[in-house]
Amino acid sequence: MAGRPLAPRIGRAVLLAFFSALFVLYVAGPVAWLVSSSLQTEAQITAIPPNWLPPEVNFGNFDAILNAAERQVTYETRRQGDPATGGFLPSGAANLIPSLWNSLTVGLWVAALNLLLSVTAAYAIAVIDFRGRRATLYTVLATRVVPDIALIVPLFLVIRNLGLINTLGALVVTYLAITVPFTIFILISYFEGIPRDLYRAARIDGCGHWGALRHVYLPLSLPALVASLTFAFLTSWNEFVFALVLTQNVAAQTLPIVISGFVMDFTTSFSFVNAAGVIAIIPPVLMAVLFQRYIVSGLTAGAVKG
Amino acid sequence: MAAITCEKLTKRYGSVTAVDRLDLAIGHGEFMVLLGPSGCGKTTTLNMIAGLEEITDGTLRFDATDVTWQPPHKREVAMVFQSYALYPNKTVRENIAFPLQLRRTPRAEVERAVADVSEQLEIAHLLDRHPSQLSGGQRQRVALGRAIVRKPSVFLMDEPLSNLDAALRLSMRSLIKHLHQRLQATFVYVTHDQAEAMTLADRIAVMRGGLIQQLDTPDGIYSRPANTFVASFLGSPPINLVEGEIAADGRFARGALRLDLPPGAVAPGRAVTLGLRPEDVAAPAPGLASLEARVTLVSPLGSETLLEVVAPGDVALTLRVPKEWRVRHGDSMTFGIDPARLHLFDRQTEARL
Ligand SMILES: Nc1ncnc2c1ncn2[C@@H]1O[C@H](COP(=O)(O)OP(=O)(O)O)[C@@H](O)[C@H]1O
Ligand SMILES: [Mg+2]
Repeated sequence: MAGRPLAPRIGRAVLLAFFSALFVLYVAGPVAWLVSSSLQTEAQITAIPPNWLPPEVNFGNFDAILNAAERQVTYETRRQGDPATGGFLPSGAANLIPSLWNSLTVGLWVAALNLLLSVTAAYAIAVIDFRGRRATLYTVLATRVVPDIALIVPLFLVIRNLGLINTLGALVVTYLAITVPFTIFILISYFEGIPRDLYRAARIDGCGHWGALRHVYLPLSLPALVASLTFAFLTSWNEFVFALVLTQNVAAQTLPIVISGFVMDFTTSFSFVNAAGVIAIIPPVLMAVLFQRYIVSGLTAGAVKG
Repeated sequence: MAAITCEKLTKRYGSVTAVDRLDLAIGHGEFMVLLGPSGCGKTTTLNMIAGLEEITDGTLRFDATDVTWQPPHKREVAMVFQSYALYPNKTVRENIAFPLQLRRTPRAEVERAVADVSEQLEIAHLLDRHPSQLSGGQRQRVALGRAIVRKPSVFLMDEPLSNLDAALRLSMRSLIKHLHQRLQATFVYVTHDQAEAMTLADRIAVMRGGLIQQLDTPDGIYSRPANTFVASFLGSPPINLVEGEIAADGRFARGALRLDLPPGAVAPGRAVTLGLRPEDVAAPAPGLASLEARVTLVSPLGSETLLEVVAPGDVALTLRVPKEWRVRHGDSMTFGIDPARLHLFDRQTEARL
């Protein structure tokens, strides 16, 4: 530091602060508006100039979401409320809470099964020297080269012929097909970074393959496991296109489908939609906060390995 | 106790043959060293004995039992790795206890065994640390502890000392030798360090290119090397090898250089390589062949002196002489050589004659 001129240092700090602020605004701005507007009435969020912060905190939208099931929504009752005050409900509002449970159920199943399948597959490919292991790896990865959109129609036909349309199981199976190959790939590169001698030592000390997996590979790849879990849950949580095609009603529809339905309604209540949006981002945010110290090292794991 | 028998043991990686039809019988309680340069197949051989590499061809027996297809955890062997391979998420105590826990040993017995082993290896004060908090020497002791705690009948060691500095290596070497004497188990020890091999081994198998070049006691390997490769791999400084012919009078000839050989050793006219160990020179005396040479470099080692000399025919040799010899750079000297101590190899096949 000695002798370094002061002026450039200040200039550097100012520039850094400015661009950091710009970046934060860009990333966090929409989320902030989502939260802010969910606490306002319809009239307040459509005001000009806009209310960046709620003039008064109003939980009316959340109240409506939680109690939607008790309200009858018909064309007439809808008309009674004034759209400009946010006092009306979209026709699908009662589906919101059930779809939240659907999303959670599917997400947790996908996260758990994805981990189970990927860990065992990645261990086999990374550790066991069997004939055709390269071919296996490439086959798994090749399934991800095909764009999802190209798979929709065949997938729909298969699911329909199995009689699984509009079931949560159909979504779980479909999402696993998306997440498992990626997760296998992440875990393989992580497992290959674990010194082979540790595997050898474990085998010598008395472990079979299950023992080596349990005593060496799992404890040493915690960050990658958490990253896989998060990735699978979020993929499932956010997925839209497959869910749209494979589900039809409240029995299996997930949150993104129901929320998007609000926007296509006759009149859109933005404050209500945004309140639903806030509910939709709570689980991922919780997950990120809970696992943040693993996620960063998990996602960069492949990059630093020699 | 277990004897290990390898019969035509072979390992191929695709087109690479790492170990080629290796025959090796290791006796009960023997200390066998596999010695050779990097890439000669030592580790592969050890891993096949351990069950860590699938055997491509051949048979492996422990005593009379065929274990060729037995997985490693069924073989009752312990292994020490060059990289130590301690479980980084476990403490020293847990590392040492791990093999016993996998065998469902009662907890009290595990504790007693860990205490006992850590006492022997002087690591009792480290039991609650993690491997990352240990020095290299300490880690290697823990790795040894994890191996001996099971009281296995076979110990496999893959260059266990090569990551240690020189002083530590010496003390660990004698520790391992003591262990062998006390445990009476069969040791198979891999190294590329000839001094380690010489000091530790009951017998040494010198390997090159997946083949055993010579299998013998350390003394046999050193004083009767089977070929020029073995001759030059052991000894420091290395043996002097001089290519030449057998002259009509039965002496070794290379340019102007002539050396007496034991009578009737080899037929005249044959192309040979002569081997002379640096220490196999003495003062000229009756019964010794004499060698005239000019000294080009003098390197005192304290206990003795290394000389680089040029003999007739421009033959450069390295010699080791007692430190009492007063030798100076540029001197011309006469050395005495016992013909019986010379080594002769066929120049084509490189085999001992
Ligand atoms: N997994 C492997 N795949 C291909 N070749 C290998 C593999 N492991 C070892 N080799 C080859 O086998 C030969 C012997 O290797 P190794 O037993 O490790 O030698 P050493 O331990 O004596 O240095 C080398 O040529 C090496 O390149
Ligand atoms: Mg090796």
